[in-house]
Amino acid sequence: MHGEYKTPGGKLVVADFTVVEGQLRAVEISGDFFLYPDEALYTIVQALEGAPSTAQAVGFAERVRAALDAEVTMLGFSPEAIGMAIQRGLEAG
Amino acid sequence: MSEAVAAERQSLIDAAIAGWQGLGWQLIREQPLAPAMNVALDEVLLGAVARGERPPLLRFWAWDAPAVILGRFQSVRNEINEAVAQERGVTIVRRITGGGAMFVQPEATITYSLLLPESAVKALSFAESYAALDSWAVATLRALGVDAWYAPLNDITSAEGKIGGAAQARRSKVVLHHTTISYQMNTAEMAQILRIGQEKLSDKGIASAAKRVSPLRRQTALARSALVDQLIDTFRAQFGLEETTLRPAESAAAAQLVAERYDADHWRYELP
Repeated sequence: MHGEYKTPGGKLVVADFTVVEGQLRAVEISGDFFLYPDEALYTIVQALEGAPSTAQAVGFAERVRAALDAEVTMLGFSPEAIGMAIQRGLEAG
Repeated sequence: MSEAVAAERQSLIDAAIAGWQGLGWQLIREQPLAPAMNVALDEVLLGAVARGERPPLLRFWAWDAPAVILGRFQSVRNEINEAVAQERGVTIVRRITGGGAMFVQPEATITYSLLLPESAVKALSFAESYAALDSWAVATLRALGVDAWYAPLNDITSAEGKIGGAAQARRSKVVLHHTTISYQMNTAEMAQILRIGQEKLSDKGIASAAKRVSPLRRQTALARSALVDQLIDTFRAQFGLEETTLRPAESAAAAQLVAERYDADHWRYELP
């Protein structure tokens, strides 16, 4: 599945994934955003792997937010933007 | 933001920029290099500044071949029409800074990198640092009669469309900030190679990527090399600049990084 969300005035987030037995699998998050440090992308992907597909955008965002350390900087996007991209992918089927 | 707060921020920004004078900046002029080599040099020179082997640097890039330089977190298949890129001999290189894909051709863009200690921007937010680090370039364009301004987060724009874009990485207490300005972009070819979907343009009020970019050549009669000279003159007048060249050890280290990473599929397709 494939969903995109652009934060108004910010950057694009793209979510590619599959759903297996109601859970997100093979999650890839990409886009033209800025993220410091780089390794935080793996934390984000790990937080989403296995998430129930019924969590909704806010639920996906909450998982991402809970996984990230306070010193991680997201520029031009947010946990909510990632949640929106996933939700759009689910809705597009 | 209230007017008082905005004025206070602006004075902090002005003070930070004033502080870049006297950092002992060095200039590395452009020489055409392979796309992967240019990207590798950013990493090598970042390390050199971090270790104190180099003072802060302004480096101009030039390309010996067309390429798409992908942002650190972009997916190849989502951003690039690989079949068309391959057919046109356009290589794909992933860089270490975030942001969006740059389509570059020899003589078509002006690209520069700034490398400076993070302490020199510590008073600024990330967003403020982008605008501040390109302020001298925007001032140069305006002095040449181009009505350019900074569009947060990371674009140089004009009434005619986007002129350029910047990206940063921060490592080892060094800021790498690079900016690409379109000089005479083949925007039609760019639109065939880059996949720029409607979602990306959703808040831009325009219908196509080709219309989004406005190469500088449409707005000035100056030759590309003259523009580069003007940029260097502005920077030198504002911050001081001493000319230098790449050291053989730096070129060798970059060539090694090209072989190990920048021209290797595990890095290029890290986000497939």
